[in-house]
Amino acid sequence: MNAPNRYELYVLDDGEKPVEIIEDTKIPNAATIKIVKQDHTLGNMLRAQLLSMPQILFAGYKVPHPLHPHFIIKIQTDGTMTPQAVLEQACTKLIGTMSSLENKFKREFSFKDVEGTVGAGGATAATDDPYGGSGMGGTGGAWPGGRDYLDF
Amino acid sequence: MQGHDDLEPTVHIRELKKDKVNFVLKNVDLAFANSLRRVMMADIPTVAIDMVEIEINTTVLPDEFIAHRLGMVPLASSNCDEAIRNTRDCTCLAGCDSCSIMLVLNVACHDHHTMDVTSHHLDVVPPGTPGTWGDGEEQEHDAGEELSKRGERFGHPVGKDEPGTPPVLLCKIRKGQELKLRCVAKKGIAKEHAKWSPCSAVSFEYDPYNKLRHTTHWFESDERGEWPLSENAKEEEPPRDDEPFDFNAQPSQFYFEVETDGSLGPQEVVMKGLAELQTKLANLILGLKTQPELDILTGGEQQPNGNNADGWGAGGGGGGGWGAASGNGGGWGGSASPTRGGAATSAWGATSPHSSGGATSTWGGGANAGWGSPEQQSNGWNV
Repeated sequence: MNAPNRYELYVLDDGEKPVEIIEDTKIPNAATIKIVKQDHTLGNMLRAQLLSMPQILFAGYKVPHPLHPHFIIKIQTDGTMTPQAVLEQACTKLIGTMSSLENKFKREFSFKDVEGTVGAGGATAATDDPYGGSGMGGTGGAWPGGRDYLDF
Repeated sequence: MQGHDDLEPTVHIRELKKDKVNFVLKNVDLAFANSLRRVMMADIPTVAIDMVEIEINTTVLPDEFIAHRLGMVPLASSNCDEAIRNTRDCTCLAGCDSCSIMLVLNVACHDHHTMDVTSHHLDVVPPGTPGTWGDGEEQEHDAGEELSKRGERFGHPVGKDEPGTPPVLLCKIRKGQELKLRCVAKKGIAKEHAKWSPCSAVSFEYDPYNKLRHTTHWFESDERGEWPLSENAKEEEPPRDDEPFDFNAQPSQFYFEVETDGSLGPQEVVMKGLAELQTKLANLILGLKTQPELDILTGGEQQPNGNNADGWGAGGGGGGGWGAASGNGGGWGGSASPTRGGAATSAWGATSPHSSGGATSTWGGGANAGWGSPEQQSNGWNV
């Protein structure tokens, strides 16, 4: 009866700060950033993006406890940028990658839509309407070699 | 990771069907691809039955059993972002047309044959039906425009009224047994409960030849013979027998197959997944941005440089990160002599990593005095 609401795993409480920055007192240009109500999905992606940036000397993340919905990410830079600024830049870069990927997906999906309506009808404009007119088990949308996945 | 940055990420959709999409993602790193997979499985909102009120249950299955099975039934959830609210954000007390969907099931068997109770027996109560959410009067709240954004089939069990689609079996009843209940479907995400996941399966593969040795293939006598190659191996160059192991190699090509349970189309799942990841990152940027601004507002107006003991206390109050340290703020201010503060600033002023590295060792035991002024450091950065 005193169980916390399940949505507290991913929704910020009233007035809760999403980010908490703890600068490292013993290592120069380093900070530990606690990101609340997020998990490996964001943590690992940020870590990987940070490591690919030249200003970074160290980046690592951990989820201290699986039942606590937050992770911490430790960043050390070479001094040309603050850890916060680098993290922000990493986020911006990732958003850029994602929006370019989004456009590419859109284009690919639009090609497939055209093929679907012209072709055998497996792939259709099912996207707007999950109950799109096509029947189940159509053999359209074949693999590149013209084979169906059932062939092997 | 390094090396992908110069190449633009690309995607190639190999197959698109009503309920699944198979695509190849190239020139992204493993963490990115995995985040996309995770977000598609766990972070996309759908609607699912969340509360069941059982009126009559004379079947062989107990109430909980049936309630659990009802929760698993996929409901059409296209455009869930706009078409329905989260109950926790709604102005109503327990449920209303803007944040919930009422479904009813009322089946009795009068034949001598065993009868299947399926998801096709679930009927959506049309929004606006009087008496759905208790006595009508307290429903005079902010109705919102969610209802107008709903598709015709929104909230209906997937495959209902669609010939050829087998329904989800809920229970079997014999003559004289009856099942009568009301369900409330709500919006949620799969992090809370897997019933809200739009995906029934997401397959994710990279490196079909195991060139990177991220896994070990156990074998009796012949590795190649005992580990058949996956279909995805045709997309990649097989390794030569004399090829040395490249321990610096990073995976860059990922094979996805996203299969949905029908509540959302595969295109919507992928696009919403990317959008959701961007939202997460944007919120993080927002969180990072608001933090220093607070700092400047409280600490910065007094001491823009922050190289003075007075400035530290103020900054300590402003920087959320140092909330714990700010309790000691006065103590630090007293103990840290102004000269030390000045020295620390100069060390930080010369931002080259070598000089500050050297500073660390000189501070050594007395580090607390010098480094105990973290807010100064943060002010130095922020201003």
